[in-house]
Amino acid sequence: MRRLLLTTAVATTAALTLTACGTTEPAADDAKKTTERITLIDATGTKVELDGPAKKVVGTEWNVVEHLIELGVDPVGVSDVKGYKTWDTAVPLKNEPKDIGTRGEPSMETVAALKPDLILATSDLPPAAVKQLRKIAPVLEVKAADAADPIGRMTENLDLIAKATGTTDKATELKKQFEAKLDEGRKALADAKLAGAKYAFADGYVVSNQVSIRPYTSGSLIGAVNEKLGLKNAWTVKGDPAYGLGATDVEGLTKIGDVQFAYIGNDGDASSNPFAGVLAKDKVWTSLPFVKKGNVHRLPDGVWMFGGPGSMNKYVDSVVAALTK
Amino acid sequence: MAVTATTPATRPPTATSRTGAAPVTAALLLLVVALAVVDITQGTAAVGAPEVWKALTGRADPADASVVVASRLPRMAAGLLVGAVLGMAGAALQAVSRNVLASPDTLSVNAGSYFALGLASVTGVSLPLLASSGLAFVGGLAAAAVVLGLSGLGTGTVRLVLAGSALTLGLTAVTEGLLLLFPQQTDGIYHWNQGSIAQNGFDGVLQMLPVAVVGLVGLLLLARRIDALALGDDAARGLGVPVRATRLTAVVLAALLSTAAVTLAGPIGFVGLCAPALVRPLARRFRGFTRTRGSLPLAGLTGAALVLGSDVVLRVLVPSDVAVAVPTGVVTSLVGALFLVVMATRTRDTAAAAETDRLRIRSRGVFLTTTAVLVVVLVGVVIAALLLGDAKLLLGDVLNWAQGRAGRTTAFVLDTRVPRVLAALLAGAALALAGTLVQAVTRNPLAEPGILGVSGGAALGAVLLVTTVPMVGSWGVAGAAFAGAAASSVLVFGLAAKDGFRQNRLVLVGFGVATGASALISLLIILTDPFNAIKALTWLSGSTYGRTLPDVVPLAAVLAVGVVVAAARRTELDLVSLDEDTPRLLGLNLGRGRLGFLALAVLLSATAVAAAGTIGFVGLVAPHAARALVGRQHARVVPVAVLIGAVLVCVADLVGRTVIAPAQLGAGLMTAVIGTPYFLYLLVRSRRG
Repeated sequence: MRRLLLTTAVATTAALTLTACGTTEPAADDAKKTTERITLIDATGTKVELDGPAKKVVGTEWNVVEHLIELGVDPVGVSDVKGYKTWDTAVPLKNEPKDIGTRGEPSMETVAALKPDLILATSDLPPAAVKQLRKIAPVLEVKAADAADPIGRMTENLDLIAKATGTTDKATELKKQFEAKLDEGRKALADAKLAGAKYAFADGYVVSNQVSIRPYTSGSLIGAVNEKLGLKNAWTVKGDPAYGLGATDVEGLTKIGDVQFAYIGNDGDASSNPFAGVLAKDKVWTSLPFVKKGNVHRLPDGVWMFGGPGSMNKYVDSVVAALTK
Repeated sequence: MAVTATTPATRPPTATSRTGAAPVTAALLLLVVALAVVDITQGTAAVGAPEVWKALTGRADPADASVVVASRLPRMAAGLLVGAVLGMAGAALQAVSRNVLASPDTLSVNAGSYFALGLASVTGVSLPLLASSGLAFVGGLAAAAVVLGLSGLGTGTVRLVLAGSALTLGLTAVTEGLLLLFPQQTDGIYHWNQGSIAQNGFDGVLQMLPVAVVGLVGLLLLARRIDALALGDDAARGLGVPVRATRLTAVVLAALLSTAAVTLAGPIGFVGLCAPALVRPLARRFRGFTRTRGSLPLAGLTGAALVLGSDVVLRVLVPSDVAVAVPTGVVTSLVGALFLVVMATRTRDTAAAAETDRLRIRSRGVFLTTTAVLVVVLVGVVIAALLLGDAKLLLGDVLNWAQGRAGRTTAFVLDTRVPRVLAALLAGAALALAGTLVQAVTRNPLAEPGILGVSGGAALGAVLLVTTVPMVGSWGVAGAAFAGAAASSVLVFGLAAKDGFRQNRLVLVGFGVATGASALISLLIILTDPFNAIKALTWLSGSTYGRTLPDVVPLAAVLAVGVVVAAARRTELDLVSLDEDTPRLLGLNLGRGRLGFLALAVLLSATAVAAAGTIGFVGLVAPHAARALVGRQHARVVPVAVLIGAVLVCVADLVGRTVIAPAQLGAGLMTAVIGTPYFLYLLVRSRRG
């Protein structure tokens, strides 16, 4: 033990001598230019001041990243890039941003090294982490989700990000497109005599042979879009106050009756698609009225269920396509 | 009760006196049946008692019938099977090791199996159920072999539980780390390391049933030999029983049984520990249960009652849609923890005074060199921790930063990194000091804040506050952590102080409280904030993520006070750690001094938890290593232990921050990974002593 300690000591001293006392960055010099300043109030009530439209932006959550790409600003840093590429192909990354770690614990150091003009965070990040990020660069914290008004929350976030990046015109255009898409979808469903159809959307996952199902209640973004399309939400379970997601299992599906059932899985994540996998042999599943009638629709991969107008547009297209087949 | 080997094995079982045993068995069966019936009527579908009745009599509509047949009945069957096999595995393990605390959990069979399954799932190989159960079997058996090998069969209860729980912690940490390194789930699902008995159809149950039957039949065939082992190894040998082979076979069969349970439902805690313990008082009353042949099935029934009972109670207390998200294992852990505490306070403690480390007196020179070397290592580690991370820096950057001349990026990197390094250093030091104090006062070399449930209580207090009040300051969290730690230590030390901290009792009560606390934390997070995996990680496995300088202030203040007090009262610490009588002869008031030291230790652990989450092992390992290096005088042990603790957590944090950068692994996970092997090594050494 003592010998071990000694060698460590010697090794560290050696390592320290070898670590030349250089610097990786020159000492600070104060040279700041001021252009048109932008002042915003974010979701926490914090005043965010920017020297101009933000160009180098980092996003800690996928929904804000999606907003950014849609607004034509390519993020310099994104958390869990691989995951984004897997789950959100509706609005794909156009550049190769730096991976800044997980969505729950973005690495401060990587973010700082990117020297962003603006960091987009959501209320899902621990307050302590947001406080630290604010020291690196101005942080625009948006409310992650709000089951009281999911679509309103999405567009407000989009507007806020647009203001910060000087892309308000693009945001207006995106919102118009989204409204148009909703109308188009509603009309297509009404023409197919599906107005007011009972509809349930869920995702599911398998952990050690056990299937958990997450109902998307009317408080979820997807749920709100469904209602705009004139579909009737069939879930009776209560969702959480932010995302409007509930929890249930296979037998809980017996409560929703005869509906149109849709889900999104992902081929890149083996545990994310129980409906066509594990459940194919499950008697409860196979005896559900909507399964018997073949009213189960797997919507195309890559629509991020908590994303922005881009994902939702694609979602509307896929629902309409699936139900009017 | 002499068991002679000459009795013919074909003797009908009715020949033994079973008066009283039959009614008891019948009553238990009735209870299990009642629970099973209630369990079938519970669930998320609107299928209650009347629908179930209709389904069973074949008059229900097909949807309801399918719910009963493919969801309710399999779940009930899985509960029965899992409970029964765990109960029997526990009973067999306890019988062959002559140790009331042997069980699939404490021998880390469950953790070993789960680790093997985790390894398989990470590599992305999807195995058929039987193949994966084979894998789980190998893992579980290997873990059990390590634990039994380390603690020696039929020796100290505490050693076994400690070796097992240490290995469990280590393996769980590794499994957890694997799941983080290879995220299969991108939707923020936290793996609770807890099983659940929900099923989809009968497939799983039917595939595991033969495995369970093989295990049970094997154990019943071995029953006579197992009975003979109860007489002691020599007596058993005298009867011509091959002791070693019997033991080995029984452990393998028990591992097989537990494996079936883990494969079917994941790890379900504590059933294997509690069920046989519940049967034991019955065995004293009714002769029919004294033999393994009678007690094994009874333990199985009890286990089934425990699992089904937990499931029923959960579904009665919380709405069915919420109950879906709560793993059965969390509930059984809670029940089991309560049980362990009650059992520990009621059993007679037979442990002799704890073994004192037999150590050579070290010279002053050794102490000085050790300290000097440790200081150099600490400085080196701190510098490494400052330079390494996601963004690699050089020394010049740090110098610039210290003078306030650093460039923007460097300044930010160091502004976030320095508090983390400090939190790790101070938390390590505080936990090491707390461990030193607790070990001195209880004279128990295996006592530490984590194992005694003090850290668990602190984390529970902090989580309660963070959950109810979203925006709290560092002092608030520290205060809540202290309240939790104080409550849990009053419970643990209060219950254990009945006759002057009998060693085993203290550790067992503590272990129960620690387990209960972590189950409660899991439950709280599942019920209030199910998608917040980060919160769960921080409070269940420690992390320095997002710490700022103000968070570290309470810890620094308490640590400074602690070090001063420990230094001033060093002689008193020495005396208290010797034995009961010496301080009394010298006219010292033991009670007050002990209480003071314990209070200080609790305060230290609480602030450490508030600053860096639950970090295990440090409080255990650092004092041990210090004593091994510089002898027993606290004047020397305290500084060395504090240095070692600081180095250990700092290294763990450094590794956690860099190994999968930019993603992170919690410091607590890494401490467990680094600490487990050392701890097991310590156990081996003290066995030889």
